[in-house]
Amino acid sequence: MNRRRLAGLFAAGVAAAALLTGCGGDDNTTDGPVTLKVLTWEPGGAEYWKQVKTSFEAGHPDIKLELQSVPFDKYPEVQGPYITSQSGPDVMANNAGLELFDRRSAYVPLGARAAEINKDLVTYSGACEGFDTSKPCYGVPFSYQGNVLYYNKAVLTAAGLDPERPPTTWEEFGAACDAVKKSGKTCLALGLSGVFPAYWDFPEIARSYLTEDDIRGLLAGTLSWKDPKLVSVLGKLAEISTKGWTNKNAPSITMLPDGADIFQRGDAAFAGTIISDAVNWEAFGKALGDDKLGVTRWPAVNPGAPLAQKFSGIEGAVYGVTQWSEKKEAGLTFISWLAGKENGELWVKHAKGQPLNKNVDKALLPSSPAFQKIQELVAQPTLHAGVMLSGPEADALARGWQQVALGQLTVDKWADQMQQALERSPTKKQSK
Amino acid sequence: MTISTTPVPEPVVADRPPEPVRRPARHARLREWWLGAALVLPALALAVAFKLVPLGRGVATSLESSSGFDGTSFAGADNYVRMFDDPVVRSSFRNALLVVATLPVWVVLPLVLAVLIHQQAPGWKFFRAVYFIPYTVAPIVVGIMFRQILAPDGPINALLRRVGLEPLAIEWLNGRYSALFSLVAVALWSFFGLGVMTYLAGLATIPGETLEAAYLDGAGFWRRLFHVVVPMLRPTVAYWSVLCASGVLIWLFPLIYALTQGGPGDATMLPEYLVFLTTFQFLDRGYGSAIGIALFVFVAVLSIFSVRHMFTEGTRKPR
Repeated sequence: MNRRRLAGLFAAGVAAAALLTGCGGDDNTTDGPVTLKVLTWEPGGAEYWKQVKTSFEAGHPDIKLELQSVPFDKYPEVQGPYITSQSGPDVMANNAGLELFDRRSAYVPLGARAAEINKDLVTYSGACEGFDTSKPCYGVPFSYQGNVLYYNKAVLTAAGLDPERPPTTWEEFGAACDAVKKSGKTCLALGLSGVFPAYWDFPEIARSYLTEDDIRGLLAGTLSWKDPKLVSVLGKLAEISTKGWTNKNAPSITMLPDGADIFQRGDAAFAGTIISDAVNWEAFGKALGDDKLGVTRWPAVNPGAPLAQKFSGIEGAVYGVTQWSEKKEAGLTFISWLAGKENGELWVKHAKGQPLNKNVDKALLPSSPAFQKIQELVAQPTLHAGVMLSGPEADALARGWQQVALGQLTVDKWADQMQQALERSPTKKQSK
Repeated sequence: MTISTTPVPEPVVADRPPEPVRRPARHARLREWWLGAALVLPALALAVAFKLVPLGRGVATSLESSSGFDGTSFAGADNYVRMFDDPVVRSSFRNALLVVATLPVWVVLPLVLAVLIHQQAPGWKFFRAVYFIPYTVAPIVVGIMFRQILAPDGPINALLRRVGLEPLAIEWLNGRYSALFSLVAVALWSFFGLGVMTYLAGLATIPGETLEAAYLDGAGFWRRLFHVVVPMLRPTVAYWSVLCASGVLIWLFPLIYALTQGGPGDATMLPEYLVFLTTFQFLDRGYGSAIGIALFVFVAVLSIFSVRHMFTEGTRKPR
């Protein structure tokens, strides 16, 4: 009798468990709100993402957001295993460009819906294969990103330089660095550990040597690192450190946060960073004072080069729905909302970033002089050479630069190492 | 108390029990075999599921070529051949050998400190606690901490300059070899407390009279250490050596990550960090697995010598 009762209880338990399992899977079968797991490095800061969650959930009571926030420099390590195991968050972010293309198998292609979702954005090609919107697009950007050179007006003044006329050529930059160095400060705050040099510094020198076709060749892996143009770019990067324009510990520190800290503390004249997300005009303005912060284009090595006076621009983080998500419709709703005006305005208001949505209320745009100057710079965009580099190339660029800075490597050997890194890049393999 | 004089009756001889029915020996052996198998099976299943299957999967992946996160194709031994031409792989294994060369320090330093604590040198209670504390700090935190401490203008160099040792105030994390040995030194700082504790546990098994007799016979500290303690502590020394030999090649990841990220250049690149970079940052899973398998073989070969030595020591009959 007891055995029968036990068997009955067991059967009931199994049935209940099966029922519960059935309810948990698909968003179509749930009674309550669907919970979307979003993997993000919180571009724009925690406050902005808090606003995203509040505003989105208020407008979509049937969807809840669960944010998994990971620091930017740890992000690939957290995301990699999710993609390898094809499990994890419903929505994830990647930087537009090669980083996203490398991981495209993790995302649901948006197909014909891409144009509709992104219709109000200034650009979204960085979310699409080969920067071509007629090819598959894997997600939605909402911010504009790119490189500028910030400078501390007080440090320039103390060095006897005119803070309203920052250097525009390589020679002027060298002269300014000599003056700053004499005044006891670091000229260019730099950290060479990690991939930031590849994304933030390389494209700025590359603009003086490469054309847009060359940059597309870099993306495709058809432009050799032994090409004189790229060897010249490496040579000029090497000069930055070998001429003593940077902080002494540059080879052993990361740019974020260590290198940026040097600038924020007021110990350096220049810092080459980005316009949105972090270490931008807003963060530096808070640290140094808006009136002390200047912003300019990186100095041109060849001022007459076709891209020398352009802005290396790229869509910021791209959010896409994962292939393995069982809540794809909800995920699509969320990323479509990210591309919209409401989020664009949150981005401006709380992240103080450059929005991509054309309909954002202009009255909301910040009044900071540095932000206003950035509006002038971004008006002349070109392809961003940094995001065309594969993982092995970005890594080899930073490691090579460290060695060159320490006198352990010549520029030619560095170019050899870069070529080897290109040949090791799985996504850039050339068919023989 | 009385003593009975009654003769003890002859024990009743029981009827001889009937001869047991002799089951066939084969049947008994079979039953024994099944019992043995049933007892071993759970452990075997766990070992297969959590050791052999992942290892087999790793070997299989190392024979594949992958492009990002796209599909894979069979590549045969290509990934292994590629390793021989890859300067970063060669450099990482050369660094691994340099790290292995520091093993004597890993083995001897904690032993000396453990003996000092065991013989209750002044302040031994304090040092016993202090030595173990670094082991309780997460290695990633240790890495971040020492990145500041070892900076060119950090506290170590400031101290060296203050006490007049300016030439020793080098750029610890920037040099080709100084970076690697700084990494090892930080790892040693972080882990040697565990060695001290391990040796103290071993020292507790040595009779106090033995050490006292050696002391009374006039044996100094080093003589007692090498002629009394080490011979009696051989199994513990061998155990700690095995742990260190494999550990220095697979424990250092969090420290490399926080301290140098394998740099400058590839100065502190060790195979374990390269596996991680190749697999998760370069998205080259097949190649990353091949490097991982090479590391596994490297560690296994190194450990085999130590384990064999430990086994010989452990089974040696006392003279």
